[in-house]
Order: sequence, then C-alpha cells, then structure tokens
Amino acid sequence: MTSRALAKLIRYALLLIAVAFALVPVYWMITISLKSEADQLAVPPLWINFNPTLAHYEDAFFTRSFGGYMATSAIVSVISTACALVLGTLAAYGLARFKLYRATARHLGLWILSTRMFPPIVTIVPLYLMMRDWGLLNTVASLVIVYTGFNLPFVVWMMRGFFDELPREMEEAAMVDGDTRMGALRRVILPLVTPGLAATAVFCLIISWNEFLFAWVLTQTDEAMTLPVAIAGRVTQYKIEWGVMSAAGVVAMTPIVVFAMAVQRYLVRGLSLGAVKG
Amino acid sequence: MTAQSSASLFRNRRPTPRRDKALPYLLIAPTVAVLVTLSIYPLIYAVRVSFQSNSASGWTFGNFARLASDQFFLSALGHTFVYASVALTVEFLLGLGLALLLDRSLRGRSIFRALLLVPMMLPPVVVGVVWRLMFNSDFGAINGTLKTAGVNTEALTWTASPELALASVIAVDVWQWTPFMFLVLLAGLQAIPQEPYEAAMVDGSSWWQTFRHVTLPLLRPAILIALLLRTMDLLRVFDQIFILTEGGPGFATETVSLYIYRTAFRFFDFGYASAMSFVLLILTNLISFGYIKLLESREAA
Repeated sequence: MTSRALAKLIRYALLLIAVAFALVPVYWMITISLKSEADQLAVPPLWINFNPTLAHYEDAFFTRSFGGYMATSAIVSVISTACALVLGTLAAYGLARFKLYRATARHLGLWILSTRMFPPIVTIVPLYLMMRDWGLLNTVASLVIVYTGFNLPFVVWMMRGFFDELPREMEEAAMVDGDTRMGALRRVILPLVTPGLAATAVFCLIISWNEFLFAWVLTQTDEAMTLPVAIAGRVTQYKIEWGVMSAAGVVAMTPIVVFAMAVQRYLVRGLSLGAVKG
Repeated sequence: MTAQSSASLFRNRRPTPRRDKALPYLLIAPTVAVLVTLSIYPLIYAVRVSFQSNSASGWTFGNFARLASDQFFLSALGHTFVYASVALTVEFLLGLGLALLLDRSLRGRSIFRALLLVPMMLPPVVVGVVWRLMFNSDFGAINGTLKTAGVNTEALTWTASPELALASVIAVDVWQWTPFMFLVLLAGLQAIPQEPYEAAMVDGSSWWQTFRHVTLPLLRPAILIALLLRTMDLLRVFDQIFILTEGGPGFATETVSLYIYRTAFRFFDFGYASAMSFVLLILTNLISFGYIKLLESREAA
C-alpha cells in the first residue's frame, strides 16, 4: 500500500470515528423511545435487536398533552419569527441603503448587535418582573414578545448583509422608472433576497423552538407550556418515564434537524451573525 | 451607450427628495423601540433592583458587598471558568483537527460535514435528555457497554458523582459544540487562497511548516471569531447543565447562571440575583472586548 492510500485510509477512519461519536448518543435516544421497559433496562444494551413499539409515542401524544405543548411551541415560534422578520427587514434596509446623520448607521448597527450579546440570565430577572407587572406571566404573548426581541438583532444583521450584497443601482433603476422607494423594495429587492430571508426565517424558528430558559421561567402552566419546558419538567422529577421523554425528545428534534439541513449553506453565516461568510 | 440610459444615469444624480430623508428613521424606529423596551429598560430595571434588598427599604450597596464574601458565588465563578476554559480548549483543538481532515477534497465530504453537525442543531433540552440516557447508571449505554466488557462500574456514576460531574457536563458541551468550531474553522480554511500553499510547496516546506506559517496566520480571523462566540456562550451556559444535574450533586456543577437562577427563582432574592448578573455581564463584556481588540489589531496591520 502506498503511503498516500494509507493517509487517505487514516483520514476516513478518523472521520468515521468522529461521526460515530456525534450520532451514537442520538441513536441511543431513538432506540429508547422505541423500546419496551424491559428492553430499555437490558444489559448488555440492545443496540439493534429489540422489538420496536410505538407505545411511548402514543403515551406522549394521546395520554399526555405533548401534542398541545408542540402546538404552543409552533405558535410561539411562527408568530415571533414573523414579527421579527417584518420589523428587522425594514430596519436592515434603512441601515443598509440610506445615508444617516453622521455615523448613526454604524453606531445603531453595533448597538442592535450588542443587545444580542447580553447573557440571557442578565435580563431574565427584570423581564420576569416586567411580565408579572403587566399580568403576562403564563401567557403565549409573553414568549412571543421575548422571542421577537431575541430574534430582531439577528434579523437586522443577517438581512443587512444580504442587502449590502445587492448593488444600489437595482432600486435606483426602478425608481427612475417611476417606482417609489418602498415599491422598489417590494418589487425589486425583496424577490432578490428571498433565499436570504428564508434562511433567516428558519434560523429564527430554530432559535425560538429550542429556547428553554425564558420559557421555563415565564410559563409554568399547561396553557402556555412549550415543548422544551414540558420535557424538562419531566426530566427533573423523581420518577422519570424515559420512554415518553425520549419520544418527546425525538419529536422535538426532528423538525429542527430537517430545517437546519435545509439552510446548511447559510449555517456559518447565521451562527456567526454574518461575521464569517462561509 | 443609448440616449435613454445616459439620461437615466443623469437623473440618478438628482438630490434625494425630502420625504426620503425621514424614511430610514421611520424604518428603523420600530426595531429600536422594541429593543429599548426589551433590553435597555430591563437593564435599568435590574440596576434599580440590584440596589434594593428584600429585608430593608431604600437604596443599599448590600447586594454588591455580599458578593465578595459569598463562597457559593465564588465557587460558581470558579466552576464557570473551569467549564469555559476546558471546553473551549478541547472544542477548539478537536474542531481544528476535524476541519483540517475535511479541508482537502475527499469522496463523501459533504455527507461527513452534514452528519458531524447534527449535535449542534439539537435543542439543548434534548441534548440533556440524550446524555441522561447515556450516563444513567442503571441502563445507560456507557455503563451497560462497560459492564459487558467486564469493567466494574459501581463508582462510575458520571453526573451523579461529585468527582466526575463537572467533567461529565464538560464532555457533553464538547460533544455538542465541537461541530460549531469545526464549521467556522472549515469555512475559514476554505476561504484561504491557493497561492500561499503553492509558494510554500515550491519552497519545499514540510506539512508542519506550512501549517504553522501559512495556514494558522491566515486562519486567525476565523479562529478569533469562533473563540469569541464560543466563549460568550460558555460563560452563560445554563440549559444542558440544568437538565443534566441542576447544578448538583451538591454544588459540583453550579455555574454562575445556575446560581443566579436559583437565587432569583428559588429564593426569590431578585436584588442579589441582579447584582450577580451585572458581574457576569461585565466579565463577558471585558472578555469580548479583548477578542475584538485582537481582531481589529490584525485588520489594521
């Protein structure tokens, strides 16, 4: 064997080991969600040869109210994403395309970004007290408001990057042809940034769907409980029903993994708030 | 050039109409209003709360004075630093290694890349569930496998053992977030042009020399951004630890975020929790400021 072929073999071997490390724990949770109680406790662990059953999924979604928690998660994610997209895209356009007073655009942009850099634990105490004062504890509205605030800086930075990539001549040409500024934005620019807008929307949905700390603190009743809170509430109990938990976990992660795969091209950019254009 | 297009070029130079002057501010105003309500106002609120105490009325420095002598706070700070520095180092080295493995062309590269990214995409709560299932001492996959291999697993209770708990939660962080380092560093590697490599090859440089003198310096901006973003996240870590151990056993895995949470929402001492959160905010800002200075120093050079 040549040393070149050997090097390639070693590369493949190392990569396969890394992939195994990444996926085996997730696979284990999936098997637990499909195993009967007896199979779950078996030693040596049953990796493949068990009798799959959907009992835990039925239990989670028909006996318990995981379907309802999932609906709450979906409602909160979609509304907060929509709000953040509308407000953030307009602001991004304003920052990207106009000459503002002196360095206002730069300073405003950095300030907007900095609000995203706060550790959430810093704002959670005041936000909890504010929501309590406004009578919004245990409501879907409180989560929609907080997540819109989370996602806004993200939308502004992502969309500003996408607008910057389009030459200014595009809407200037449309405006010469008699279009208004907002008409040009709607008819010329937005169609061109649609892929970026879609990727940004998917990131917002993922962030809202996954969020745990604020949902845990702001909502503790069934009416406004999101999926992560429902799962966490059952993990920290004394008797843990592992099958139900795992089934809920599988259901919580599936849309996220599918979505994230769909925006792979924009992943680096989204995760670094546009700092690295991968 | 046709007469029409030169005419439109000319008309492009006309001054912006007055109503356009107000437009950008109108576009930005709603976003600014929302962010002021949800981040500036809460900060001011938190300042006010941090100077109040549960036991006395009026203003007090008591919450800040208490910080210096609070053993729990100092140990939470210590755990946060150990957690952040160990996880950051391991994630960086593993992520860099994986990025280098996948940088050159290889059949199935995009599949490897996608599969390696899975842990990072999972909801943090699900990561907690996954690893409770792995670590569980009755039926966990790790101990089950070790038992089968004849290892005595009685002492290996992972997150339930005071000695192993912190290492265990760090391992989970490494599992989830190494893909992030890998992804950003791979993007950085692929943005490096071919020419410097070709020049190094002509000079007869060894792999290590090329890596040390070509790759690393050119990768520096990506490295700094990856480290900056990870550091911010590591200093605020909450979700996975909360699900895995709730800060226990005892206080073995209690980080600053968990201690703030406990103070605010278990003991309802909002003033003290706010005071601690300012310390965390200042620390985070100082560290990110340092990284940004490093980034700018290179860009200026």
